[in-house]
Amino acid sequence: MAAPLVLVVLAAVTVRAALYRSSLAAFIAERVEVASPLNAWKRVVEGLALLDLGVSPYSGAIFHETPLIIYLFHFLIEYAELVFMITDVLTAVALYLAIQDFNKVVFKKQKLLIELDKYAPDVAELIQTPMEMHYIPLKVALFYLLNPYTVMSCVAKSTCAINNSVIAFFILATIKGSAFLSAVFLALATYQSLYPLTLFAPALLYLLQRQFIPIKLKSKSFWLYTMQYASLYLCSLVVIICLSFFLLNSWDFIPSVYGFILSVPDLTPNIGLFWYFFAEMFEHFSLFFVCVFQINVFFYTIPLAIKLKEHPVFFLFVQLAIISIFKSYPTVGDVALYMAFLPVWSHLYRFLRNIFILSCVLIFCSFLFPVLWHLWIYAGSANSNFYYAITLTFNIGQILLISDYFYAFLRREFYLTHGLHLTRQDGTEAMLVLK
Amino acid sequence: VCTSRFWFNYRHVANTLSVYRSVKRLGIPDSHIVLMLADDMACNPRNPKPATVFSHKNMELNVYGDDVEVDYRSYEVTVENFLRVLTGRIPPSTPRSKRLLSDDRSNILIYMTGHGGNGFLKFQDSEEITNVELADAFEQMWQKRRYNELLFIIDTCQGASMYERFYSPNIMALASSQVGEDSLSHQPDLGIGVHLMDRYTFYVLEFLEEIHPASQTNMNDLFQVCPKSLCVSTPGHRTDLFQRDPQNVLITDFFGSVRKVEITAETLSLDRDVPGLDSKFPEEELATEPLKYAEQLPVAQIIHQKPKQKDWHPPGGFILGLWALIIMVFFKTYGIKHMKHVF
Repeated sequence: MAAPLVLVVLAAVTVRAALYRSSLAAFIAERVEVASPLNAWKRVVEGLALLDLGVSPYSGAIFHETPLIIYLFHFLIEYAELVFMITDVLTAVALYLAIQDFNKVVFKKQKLLIELDKYAPDVAELIQTPMEMHYIPLKVALFYLLNPYTVMSCVAKSTCAINNSVIAFFILATIKGSAFLSAVFLALATYQSLYPLTLFAPALLYLLQRQFIPIKLKSKSFWLYTMQYASLYLCSLVVIICLSFFLLNSWDFIPSVYGFILSVPDLTPNIGLFWYFFAEMFEHFSLFFVCVFQINVFFYTIPLAIKLKEHPVFFLFVQLAIISIFKSYPTVGDVALYMAFLPVWSHLYRFLRNIFILSCVLIFCSFLFPVLWHLWIYAGSANSNFYYAITLTFNIGQILLISDYFYAFLRREFYLTHGLHLTRQDGTEAMLVLK
Repeated sequence: VCTSRFWFNYRHVANTLSVYRSVKRLGIPDSHIVLMLADDMACNPRNPKPATVFSHKNMELNVYGDDVEVDYRSYEVTVENFLRVLTGRIPPSTPRSKRLLSDDRSNILIYMTGHGGNGFLKFQDSEEITNVELADAFEQMWQKRRYNELLFIIDTCQGASMYERFYSPNIMALASSQVGEDSLSHQPDLGIGVHLMDRYTFYVLEFLEEIHPASQTNMNDLFQVCPKSLCVSTPGHRTDLFQRDPQNVLITDFFGSVRKVEITAETLSLDRDVPGLDSKFPEEELATEPLKYAEQLPVAQIIHQKPKQKDWHPPGGFILGLWALIIMVFFKTYGIKHMKHVF
């Protein structure tokens, strides 16, 4: 499987290199959908220039990257294009290895459940076979590398690629079962953008499952392991934050990075939902609504953990999607990360109900973003409502996509245990409804 | 000063520009004129003849010309700015063209037009200047020695009320109508669609067109301009504060820039050794090398004062700590047995 992967990587690198050399690079770099105030390359360069002039880069409202990024790019700024291409390749390879391992886990579990007779007798067509799953890791790597969103994100040199890569390594470490590495990478991901904190729950569930610790609230080993993992995570986070203090000898980066993410002062339009609300809001409501919107990101973790505790990797996928939709400054790079996972659930295709409409919505919205931006900003014949409408539609499309997959997944699980042909009490055919 | 905006107040701008034109024609340069126009008629979208402002129907006289220099334009024409110009209490950033740089030998002509009433003049449709404020401003000018003699002309309805309160010496005032009377406009032009001039200023312009820099016409003639038969309103004037007899005051004293030149036929010798004046400068000082311009400014010192830009480097402790952590994580994950391969 290495050769096709290498081919895919080569193709991706060629596409990116070609785009870097073309005139599109400058155009893409300034698109608001690709570069947000948190991860625009222009701001990284500005921050490093300020540092060379002897001024702290966090002194204005320009630079919102973490000190580790400063350190990384201080030495690598001339090779920025190479760095981003390598980051994308690393992410794809990490996802490839992770999904390969995950497939093995899925098989083992499936085999166990078949032997334990947990499945209904007529669900043979729903069982996943090695044949159909052979190419899934390659498809995942392909989906990530050749996704137009990823390519644009890479050409724009948005540090979202670095965030994606850290999350991909976190996923790889979790699936391989190493709690320590997983905690370290999760701490790095949380350190960079706050929201991967919610990925703690799926990772914990997966590691518990792997250690065969049952998830019962009374179980002592459950709490022991949770405490271990949580303390690893928190310690690494504290260590990384304290280390960043020593880069510039100041705690300035905390309000600049985390304060910025949480309080959303910059209302530049992006593909998210925050900017329009807060542009229209009265001052004295903004604190309340900032809290509401931020809680909305973290809110789905516990219910999903309760529902999906047997399927932590799916939970991880849904949680990643929720982060990319509801975070304060989303970009298409975040969308690309969870879309890379879609081939893993390709066996759910027969249960997806709205996939055609949703894919059309997403594609059309992606094309309409630059059109309506041009109409609003340059032609002056539209206003912010038009762009906001497309943002809303795009996000609704994503939410419906996730809920569709959620429904399909749960439906398949139900069929697996209760059989494909469901009948009601009076013998007529029944329909599963997600309540 | 023209204080009205909007297209239908075309005539006020035309009034002001006519006086401006006469004053320039008689020799006063733009540096000595402060022109305030509250609106732009020449380039107004409603002007069918762009870049022109006509004073007479049938478009006989374009008072806009091609070298009009407007100092205060549009929304800058406010009561505050007007009073600041008069009294000289102007922020230091104001350019010279917007200042009244007069001294105690200057004769000042102030011409104001617009919509007025009993005791006030309306600025820009939103504020007013009262006759009391104006009188106080002139008193400030007098106390600061900002004028020698001042001629104040106003063409508004009930204009005479504006000069009632003056109390400073050396002021002569003319107005287009008495209290209780309206000043009327002259003629509409059907091509442009508005009234082009006010009657009083129209006849003043006609009068001034006859004046040339050498003319000996005096103020009494100006007082006769626009009798009631032509103007419908009764123009008024006030000379009680003026020291000289108006008969002896030439029009060109205010409207023109006529210098008093005395031609002498005898030669004057400017002698170096004026008796009674000691030579304060000893010969030795005068023999020193004259300073070249370049050496007067220590440019070389100034240039090298900028500190050299040092590149920022991450502190050593940080690098050490970071790589130590990375190595620790690596060995924790993959076991200590790899250490011997590394070293």
